[in-house]
Amino acid sequence: MTDTVIDIAGLGKRYALSHQNRPDSLKTWLRGKIRYTANGRDQSGDEEFWALRNVSLQVQRGECLALIGKNGSGKSTLLKILSRIIPPTEGRAMIRGRIASLLEVGTGFHPELTGRENVFLNAAMLGCAEKEVRRNFDAIVDFSGVERFLDTPVKHYSSGMYVRLAYAVAAHVNADILIVDEVLAVGDVEFRRKCLDHMRQFQLRHKTCVIVSHDIETIQRLATHVVWLDRGSIAETASTNRFALLDRYSGTAGNQGPHVGVV
Amino acid sequence: MKESATPIGEPTILIDASPPTLAAYCREVFEFREVAWMLIRRDLIVRFRQTYFGLAWLLFKPLMLMAVMSFAFGFLAGFQKVHSAPYPLLIFCGVIPWYFFSNSVPDGMNSLLGHIHIIQKTYFPRAIFPLAAVAIDAIEFLVAWILFALGCIWFAYLPGWQIVFLPLFFLQLLALCAALGLLLAVVNLQFRDVGNLVPFLLTVGFFISPVGYTTERIPTEWQLLYALNPLVGIVEGLRWCLLNGMGGFPLMPVILSLSMTIVIGVTAIRHFLITEPKLVDLA
Repeated sequence: MTDTVIDIAGLGKRYALSHQNRPDSLKTWLRGKIRYTANGRDQSGDEEFWALRNVSLQVQRGECLALIGKNGSGKSTLLKILSRIIPPTEGRAMIRGRIASLLEVGTGFHPELTGRENVFLNAAMLGCAEKEVRRNFDAIVDFSGVERFLDTPVKHYSSGMYVRLAYAVAAHVNADILIVDEVLAVGDVEFRRKCLDHMRQFQLRHKTCVIVSHDIETIQRLATHVVWLDRGSIAETASTNRFALLDRYSGTAGNQGPHVGVV
Repeated sequence: MKESATPIGEPTILIDASPPTLAAYCREVFEFREVAWMLIRRDLIVRFRQTYFGLAWLLFKPLMLMAVMSFAFGFLAGFQKVHSAPYPLLIFCGVIPWYFFSNSVPDGMNSLLGHIHIIQKTYFPRAIFPLAAVAIDAIEFLVAWILFALGCIWFAYLPGWQIVFLPLFFLQLLALCAALGLLLAVVNLQFRDVGNLVPFLLTVGFFISPVGYTTERIPTEWQLLYALNPLVGIVEGLRWCLLNGMGGFPLMPVILSLSMTIVIGVTAIRHFLITEPKLVDLA
């Protein structure tokens, strides 16, 4: 029986490289408009760039999907679309269940607020009721290990503390799908182990993860499913034979395309 | 992005390029109301945290405004003694809505830009930021009317039956500020020029709104143009409600002001819904 929780079909994200297409002041915007009317055609946006194109994949409940690929291959873009931070240009994605996402460092903390206040605000933004947070508060603090600095504004936190607290919140909001983008790179060895343990527990409870990591070892331990992205498209996917794929990936060091250097 | 229930009871989200519908979006905002409460509560606490007088500032500020404006317009500019109503009360009906408007519109406008680091990292309906920003000022606005009640006791002045219409004008002012806050918040992300322009426009707005004087001061041939400023209808409406009908119901300003509020409101909602999913790409 299949139980698809993430269903992505033909997803694409286009960016314009030209500056006129994304005016950041009225002047450039007006200038673009004037040129448009003067020449009778739109001169802006002549160069476009697809950060993601034609991506279709499915993730079943309880799976852990790892996205691999070199910088700029579209991994983070895909996670941002799934987290609804940015909209796709084409295609669609269907997601079943509540998502908690950790994108890069410091998932939406308010710098002026204390760690304690941020726990509540962040959890609420992840759709978790205050009562629920109160019940799990000790567990969150315990997990994060920043107990001493709980009443300090997070702007004074180190990047490690920031991530620990962010992960601790995301781990306790009772999400169905956890999206993690390379955040764990910041934490120390001990914390990383804690997170890995948590993610494995998470999977055992039949929850779903999507992770991006450049650390092959992390992926080997967690992923049940690996998708190799190259220049915005899926180059290869693997589930049972994922270790072979990962070996090949680390062989190319992720610096060339998937079909280069492969015998 | 629509949401619908599944048999299992899990929320299902569909992500695509189409903007959300108003109904779906409102439902989502409602679901995340707790975030709005937190933002409001936090901001109120921060505003009064390190102040000696604490919440008393909520009444001090309008009191000082009323005193200064009464002195400036009544004494220096000589606008006083036109009506039977006590002049400070007449001023109050102009100053307090103006103070709310001139604070909440920039607050709403800056709310998305100011929270961009959160918006880039976590999704939840972004309308909550401008709405919460306006709501915080609205709380101050509503509390200030306690001072009006105290003023009525002081001057032994009793508002007439018209006061029952007061909530309607309050609602219209709230809607106007919320709409402008939402609209300018997204425009400000795209064109930072707006952040410089709006404070200047507000300075002009102060003089072309009946804050320190009444509309009768405006020459008749200019009254129609003048009343296109939606604040004119609101302020004159408030004065009609609270000051025993003043010189009769300000029908033309009220109709024009309502129309302007509706136009601004519809524009704001439409533009916001289209732009909301793309905010991070625009910023």
